Amino acid sequence: MTAPLLDIRDLRIGIRRGRRPPLVIVDKADLRLGRGEIHGLVGESGSGKTMVCRSLIGTLSRRGASVLSGSVRLGDLDLATADEAMWRTVRGRRIGYVTQSALAGLNPVVTIGAQLKEAIRQTGTTGADADRRAVELLDRVRIRRPEIVARQHPHQLSGGMRQRVMIACAIATGPEIIVADEPTTGLDVTVQAEIMKLLKAIQAETGVSVILVSHDLALIDAVCDRITIMHAGTCVETGTVAQVARPRHPYTAALNRSRIELAAPGSELRTIRGRPPAVGTWAPGCRFADRCDGARPDCRTGEHPRLAPVADGHMTACPFPDATEAAA
Amino acid sequence: MTPPLLRATDVSVAFGRGADRVRAVRGVSLAVEPGESVGIVGESGSGKSTLARVLVGLQRPDEGTVELRGRSVFEGEGAYPGALRRQVQMVFQDPYTSLNPRMSALDAVAESVAFHDRCTRAQARDRALALLGDMGIPPGDAVKKPRLLSGGQRQRVSVARALAAGPSVLVADEPTSAIDQSAQAQLLNLFNRLLRDGLAIVLISHNLAVIRYLSRRVHVMRDGEVVEEGETERIFGAPSHDYTRTLIASIPGREAAGTEVSPQPTTRDGNADRRIDLQAL
Repeated sequence: MTAPLLDIRDLRIGIRRGRRPPLVIVDKADLRLGRGEIHGLVGESGSGKTMVCRSLIGTLSRRGASVLSGSVRLGDLDLATADEAMWRTVRGRRIGYVTQSALAGLNPVVTIGAQLKEAIRQTGTTGADADRRAVELLDRVRIRRPEIVARQHPHQLSGGMRQRVMIACAIATGPEIIVADEPTTGLDVTVQAEIMKLLKAIQAETGVSVILVSHDLALIDAVCDRITIMHAGTCVETGTVAQVARPRHPYTAALNRSRIELAAPGSELRTIRGRPPAVGTWAPGCRFADRCDGARPDCRTGEHPRLAPVADGHMTACPFPDATEAAA
Repeated sequence: MTPPLLRATDVSVAFGRGADRVRAVRGVSLAVEPGESVGIVGESGSGKSTLARVLVGLQRPDEGTVELRGRSVFEGEGAYPGALRRQVQMVFQDPYTSLNPRMSALDAVAESVAFHDRCTRAQARDRALALLGDMGIPPGDAVKKPRLLSGGQRQRVSVARALAAGPSVLVADEPTSAIDQSAQAQLLNLFNRLLRDGLAIVLISHNLAVIRYLSRRVHVMRDGEVVEEGETERIFGAPSHDYTRTLIASIPGREAAGTEVSPQPTTRDGNADRRIDLQAL
């Protein structure tokens, strides 16, 4: 396998608590993003997906969090130790960001065109050239009548159009990576389908790599090349869509079984017992053990297991991957 | 012939006046029987939630009738007179805002019990605990405030609160859209059990997988109108309306199966759409 574009290894993120040791919210996160790849990041609410994303754009500190250890390699840079000066060369330039709520991500009192030009200015383009480029970008994200939309404010656009504008802002600087954190949550299914189609088209046209965060496995399956699954602040399985469809971690297997779209109408749906352990209450050993049907005494001792390969490009954090396969 | 449990006939609702008038629901009819779930799908602005509010009596229709076992529910000034009130209850979309943040789950449900039944506080508490237990909320979690509960748990508290009235119809407006997949599965299992016990459920969702799983019949709404209705399996297998086809093609993974997603031109009226209309200019 050639060197990945982005390589997150053993990432540990915590929230500072004065004199007490930091509260660890992400631990042993590993993610490798290949060039031109659409990589799905899946997990329940609170599993640490958004924190991993924030570590890629240097906004952890806004939530009082910071990287405690591990590395986030983007080429020669290690973003885990980046200072603000380094972030200014990365955030919005090499890594673009699309937030969950486009209304929160866009400035309500600034026109769409002006917001785009703010991003465009980073590439050194100004004045009338920047105006032209803004319209071009809107056209690129398939917004009809881009000249008119450029003069409008975010509240005048529909949710789907706002999300298109966010994507236009994210690609304005020609980044290597776009991080899209639940970009279609709260949007209608038809709009969601259009946004996903757009994201795939933009990827194909520009060769950008995409990290797509979602808890919708059906969506991830349809759009992504590879998937990483997070549970309780850690990555438990990663692989291609096809590989993860035959899971080797019991959490992934349980997620797959709880999918409604694969169930017969009215049949009893399989659910996952309990809830992920809350941050600050992580017991020794595997953090899925309390929810796992195949947990053994060994699972509750020592460190949480790290991802280990089971096939080329397919890794699981379960030391008993064959048990999950046999149970399927 | 006995009349249906709950029946809406030619219901229309409009908001605003003059040029701002929006016809949110236009001549919609539907009926639901005990132990049956009827699904309503459609995108934002299609009138689904307004219809739901009419069914539970929160919104008076401008035209048309709603009848519970043949009795009109909009008599006089109010809705659901007397003993009818408890019969139709609602579960709202957002479990983060539909519960009072200062009330424990137990108090929220006990309040509903006490409102609908004459009983002592202790009796209301006991009944609330039993209901919550039935919904998979153990006593230890029942005494917690909503912010300490997960989205799925909150949604099940909302269902318990609705059931505290002892309804025969539950109207659930996008109950699964704000919760995780595993919590969704839990909630749907619960709904299935309630259906088997004879409850009628009107399920509103834009998630077709959820509708397909739970509802035997479905109404597809667009611009306030029902554009297609019938057996869910038939509609999924052979949709006859273009809009239904678009909806089905929008299910993730369907595109790969050969059906191209074609965005519908947006020509709806009303506030939400003046924004979108720019696209269609």
